[in-house]
Amino acid sequence: MHSRVATFALCFLVSVPLRAQVAGTRLSGTITDPSGAVIPNARISVRHVATGRAAAAHADSAGVYSVADLMPGDYEVSASADGFNTAVAHVTIGAEANQTMNVTLVSGLSLEDLGFAPTQTQGSTKDQARLDRRSHMLMVHQRIGLIAAVSLAATAITGTLAGGRSTSSTGRNAHATLGVVTTGLYLTSAYLALRAPKISGTKTRGPIRLHKLLAWIHGPGMIATPILGAMAFDQRSRGEHVHGIASAHGAVAIATAAAYGASILSVSIKF
Amino acid sequence: MRILIACVLLGLPATQTSSQWVLEQSTLTYHVSHPLHQLDGVSHAARGKGVCRAGECEFLIAVSLRSFGSGDSNRDLHMLQVARGGLFPMVTVRTRLPEDASAAATIHADLEVQFAGQTVAYKGVPLQQTTQGDETRISGIIPATLTDFKIDPPSLLTIPVKNEIPVRVEMVWQRQK
Repeated sequence: MHSRVATFALCFLVSVPLRAQVAGTRLSGTITDPSGAVIPNARISVRHVATGRAAAAHADSAGVYSVADLMPGDYEVSASADGFNTAVAHVTIGAEANQTMNVTLVSGLSLEDLGFAPTQTQGSTKDQARLDRRSHMLMVHQRIGLIAAVSLAATAITGTLAGGRSTSSTGRNAHATLGVVTTGLYLTSAYLALRAPKISGTKTRGPIRLHKLLAWIHGPGMIATPILGAMAFDQRSRGEHVHGIASAHGAVAIATAAAYGASILSVSIKF
Repeated sequence: MRILIACVLLGLPATQTSSQWVLEQSTLTYHVSHPLHQLDGVSHAARGKGVCRAGECEFLIAVSLRSFGSGDSNRDLHMLQVARGGLFPMVTVRTRLPEDASAAATIHADLEVQFAGQTVAYKGVPLQQTTQGDETRISGIIPATLTDFKIDPPSLLTIPVKNEIPVRVEMVWQRQK
């Protein structure tokens, strides 16, 4: 019983607009270019704004199109043809039997004609702001990184005054101070690189891969070196020989400095 | 039928498309010079179409800026940023040529290039072409510069790149009647 009622209701709902269209208006017109030349075989689409119901037609070889059985209401009419931009117009269909609307298409291939989706062709200020922020942060990262390299070199030079038997507390202090400055600059530079916005859909290629790979050596090294250095500093300050894990300070520092230098060169010299 | 006859009698000219061209393959290469680097960014992702009617063909070629690769993703993203690729992700080239231009070995095309939010016209750019059947190969160099598109030259170690960024174009077009 329920299915019969549903079927009846469905038939009723479907039949109402069909009956209205049978007695509807015929919309016709000519498709031309701006010079008045007719455009044959243009595609026409007529959409009833209120219901979304659409009808399609093709213009004939004389550029004339015709869409029949339109019920009264507001319609969106779009016309397109190869080599022309799609034109969209609005028309109100009344109760008269025939209505005319001519359409002029402007010549010009569009990105849509090439198969590009609007999402591919439209940019945004947000995307550009992200790129700008990334470039700015990496530029500062690069500059602070270069200053850190100079500071690192100075720390290494003063390191010769801090180690060995004939060293002074002044040499050790200078080395330790420069080491702290270098570590601070390095961590600031590293923070900027890590926090720079990532651009989705970008695969890492080229020398930047080596640059990032070497960070796995000089990153932990830049943390371990000052810790080991502080331990060695304490031992020397107590008049002891540097011993235990602190004795690795020099070797870790050299490996760290080498990786850091190679990291800078990797993005400065084309291999 | 009556309308058709009426149109013929009135002498309305018909805008009949005589042929179309489709870009089958392409290699677009921009060249950047720096005292420490010479680099090329290459894209094979251009799409193009040409429509001929009334003796004239209109061509449109477009390529996504992100499709250019120089072998270094960091550099490519920097290029994208300085070229305002976030705001203007596409490069387009438009030109109109006489339909019989396909017979000449060298054509001089007036190109309208949209890039980085600017539209620049390059007049009489020489393009070499060879045709075999319905396939035409076109090559040439667009003499683009950074200042044409109001792009600040990026620098490496405080040294800016050269202003000239010639774009080499190699394309294979297919005629479709």
